[in-house]
Amino acid sequence: MSGAARIRLLGVAKRHGGVTALKDIDLDIAAGEFFALLGPSGSGKTTTLRILAGLESADEGRVLLDELDITDAEPGARDVAMVFQSYALYPHMSVHENIAFPLRMVSTPADEIERAVLQAAEKVRIGHLLGRRPGQLSGGQQQRCALARAIVRKPRLFLLDEPLSNLDAKLRLETRVELKKLHRSLDVTTLYVTHDQEEAMTIADRLAVFMEGRIEQVGTPEEVFAQPKSLDVAAFLGSPPMNFLPAKLVGRVARAAGQTIDLARDYGPERDAVLGIRPGAIRLEASGIPAQVYLVEQLGENAIVDLHVGETLVRVRVDRRVRVREGDTVHLAFSTEDLHVFDAATRQRL
Amino acid sequence: MLGLAAGLLLLVWSFPVLWGFLTSLKSERDVLAYPPVLVFAPTLANYRDVLFGATTILPNLLSSLIVSVSTTAVTMLLAIPAAYALARLELPAKRATGFYVLATQMLPPVGLVIPYFLMLRGLGWLDTYHGMVLLYITAALPFAIWLMVSYFEEIPREMEEAALLDRAGRLRALWHVVLPQARGGIAVTVVFVFLNAWNEFLFAVVLAGNTVRPVTVAMFNFISVEQTQWARLAAAAIVAMAPVILLGLFAQKHIVKGLTVGAVKGGGRR
Amino acid sequence: MRGSSLAAGERRFALALFLPAFLVLVLATTFPLVYLVWNSFLKMDLTMPWVSGFAGGDHYARMAADARFWHSLQLTAIYTGATVALQVLVGLGLALLVMQIPKGQGALRVGAILPIVLAPVVVGLFWRTLVLAPDFGVADFVTRSLGLGSHNWLGDPQLALASVIAIHTWQWTPFAFLVILASLSALPPDIYEAARIDRASAWQRFRHITLPLIRPAIVVVVILRMMTALSAFAAIFAATGGGPGTATEILNLYAYRMSFVELNIGYGAALAVVLLVLTMATAGLLFSLRTKA
Repeated sequence: MSGAARIRLLGVAKRHGGVTALKDIDLDIAAGEFFALLGPSGSGKTTTLRILAGLESADEGRVLLDELDITDAEPGARDVAMVFQSYALYPHMSVHENIAFPLRMVSTPADEIERAVLQAAEKVRIGHLLGRRPGQLSGGQQQRCALARAIVRKPRLFLLDEPLSNLDAKLRLETRVELKKLHRSLDVTTLYVTHDQEEAMTIADRLAVFMEGRIEQVGTPEEVFAQPKSLDVAAFLGSPPMNFLPAKLVGRVARAAGQTIDLARDYGPERDAVLGIRPGAIRLEASGIPAQVYLVEQLGENAIVDLHVGETLVRVRVDRRVRVREGDTVHLAFSTEDLHVFDAATRQRL
Repeated sequence: MLGLAAGLLLLVWSFPVLWGFLTSLKSERDVLAYPPVLVFAPTLANYRDVLFGATTILPNLLSSLIVSVSTTAVTMLLAIPAAYALARLELPAKRATGFYVLATQMLPPVGLVIPYFLMLRGLGWLDTYHGMVLLYITAALPFAIWLMVSYFEEIPREMEEAALLDRAGRLRALWHVVLPQARGGIAVTVVFVFLNAWNEFLFAVVLAGNTVRPVTVAMFNFISVEQTQWARLAAAAIVAMAPVILLGLFAQKHIVKGLTVGAVKGGGRR
Repeated sequence: MRGSSLAAGERRFALALFLPAFLVLVLATTFPLVYLVWNSFLKMDLTMPWVSGFAGGDHYARMAADARFWHSLQLTAIYTGATVALQVLVGLGLALLVMQIPKGQGALRVGAILPIVLAPVVVGLFWRTLVLAPDFGVADFVTRSLGLGSHNWLGDPQLALASVIAIHTWQWTPFAFLVILASLSALPPDIYEAARIDRASAWQRFRHITLPLIRPAIVVVVILRMMTALSAFAAIFAATGGGPGTATEILNLYAYRMSFVELNIGYGAALAVVLLVLTMATAGLLFSLRTKA
């Protein structure tokens, strides 16, 4: 058994007591992909990961590793390695023993173990720490030790449960890049759980957005960012988040905040909708929708201007050289293509 | 001033042992002196008698040792896996069984000793080591399980999950990863089980005889209707309690931790 | 398709680990208990081995009319109530005191262990021979020096009860002390600082912050100490043997004496059953109070 595996989840569901943790989970992850499970806390992404690992069992559905049905397989029999959020290193063993443990458990010959451990340690650059105990390592070093333990046995599936959340901001950015490079250098499929949408967007080949136990959308980061399928997905991705305006749609026209806005196509008879537009897609110009400046947040490279359009708060990203002051009245302009339209009742994209 | 109060406290708590030790070095005459003498000619005669003389309690020490060590070993062998199962795994009817274990802890020993006396008598097991150790284990098991459960619950689950994913299987995960973590808890439990077994009196007095005669019962050799050999009794008591006191001093951090952990989790015979 | 075989495998493993201990417990406690109850319905007197057979509720009827039984029940109540109350009060006071001396805490923790690790029978003997012995005992020495005269601490019925209560309290107060001290030490200091800023006096801080927060620890101490006091045996046996007469004969001792001294096992078993029920009821009551809190 070797080589990255294609992962499929078919109709997986899970209940905890009376609460539905997962419903109708269908995923098809290509071999060798770096796939992110993204969503807020409690959305089911970690549960999905744990079902893949075999640490929890699905109430319905099947889990396939290549063509093998592993739904009922023991965690140790799945050829899956995992890095836990807390790293779960064995505190009473040295770094060397930690990394060697998975190989010891399947009676690998001693010289092979030695070779593999050194190789794995070198790959994550902790070769000089092999004699230490986890308690003597920094957070970043512990994480790399956990990584080494996972890659040493050359698994077909690699599961990462929020591996960066315990690191400080700077380390997080560095490690993000290293993780992607590591994945590329190995022949493995990687599944990555995170609640940080920026993280997922930068390193994933594709991602699945989880909301309240269901998958809302699957696609590349660009697809999901540019064409969010629902209000919740649109709101979750992007920083600052998308602006939303309640509106009434009739035909090719939307009425919102006392203004009439032209739309890209005909949306049929009158209905309640929500218009979405990203802060980066709005420009401050001489004419357009009037708005009053409420606050200007300087971020250095650029600034966020908080405005009131009627009752609604809208945020616009501007270059730092643009001069506006609180209380000013400005005009908002944008392209029709940058407008997202969602049905108010179903919250889905129209 | 507070320091004085603390010192007084220390004195009150260690007083009987200190005074007992002093007494054990006195001759019988000095013991009976009034007012009580603090300065006297110490003698080791009492210790000599109690250890090597006709009234030696050495066989009793051995008896206590055999009983206590056997009890501790078997209790731990049974309690550790059971506690792990209770703490970690999906046992059917987990709450009910947990409650049952707790309930057995609350049994007054006299309620056990009467039927045991009859049963062992019927089996011809009175005054035997196996008979006595069986009862001792019964009394120790619920507390040992409860204490170990609280220690197992402290170990993060993720470590076992990591071991499972590392292809260790449940038994090896327990052995290689969980038990090393629980070393401290095991030490505490061993100390308590041993302590309770060594100090046990009611069971000993009812079930013991000539073969099995723990040191707690042997104390009364020095008391009879006619006279009490005060100084020898003190020496015997000091010798009998020496292992336990030493254990207490060496393992004091463990004991304090065990008391507070066991108390918080709602169990504990001691 | 259910992922049930994962869970089933875990269940099997759990049972395999748990069963040995469980079986031992069941066989070694439940079975004897049933036997005990059974025996309480039998006529069994080892001094009269020819007497046998079913006694029905005779023993229990006898108990209802037995003055010695009611006396022992009363003594049990006094003994248990007094010692637990004292242990909690003194333990709490000492813990509060010791909280003020961070440096002394280590030594006191060690000192506190001494009474706890001693065998209760030895504790009883120590007190009987060295402290409470008439004429040369320390207690007598102290009272005589204070001009309060010599007393028969263990021979006078009233004093005897007080004496055994004192012995038990001496031995177990350190336990209350240690647990409450641990609880006090775990309290976050910032809430006290907030209270100070809110101008709460020391007494108010104690009453409204400390006390409610250490209440769980106190409840646990009460439960555990009560169980120990109800089944106290060795120390009383060593100090007074239950006497003088029946002055210190708590129910536990009465059951023992009836079974193994007077050798009327049938009646002794009945007494033990009553003690068992009493203990269970008390535990149940205290636990329900605990969860209500």
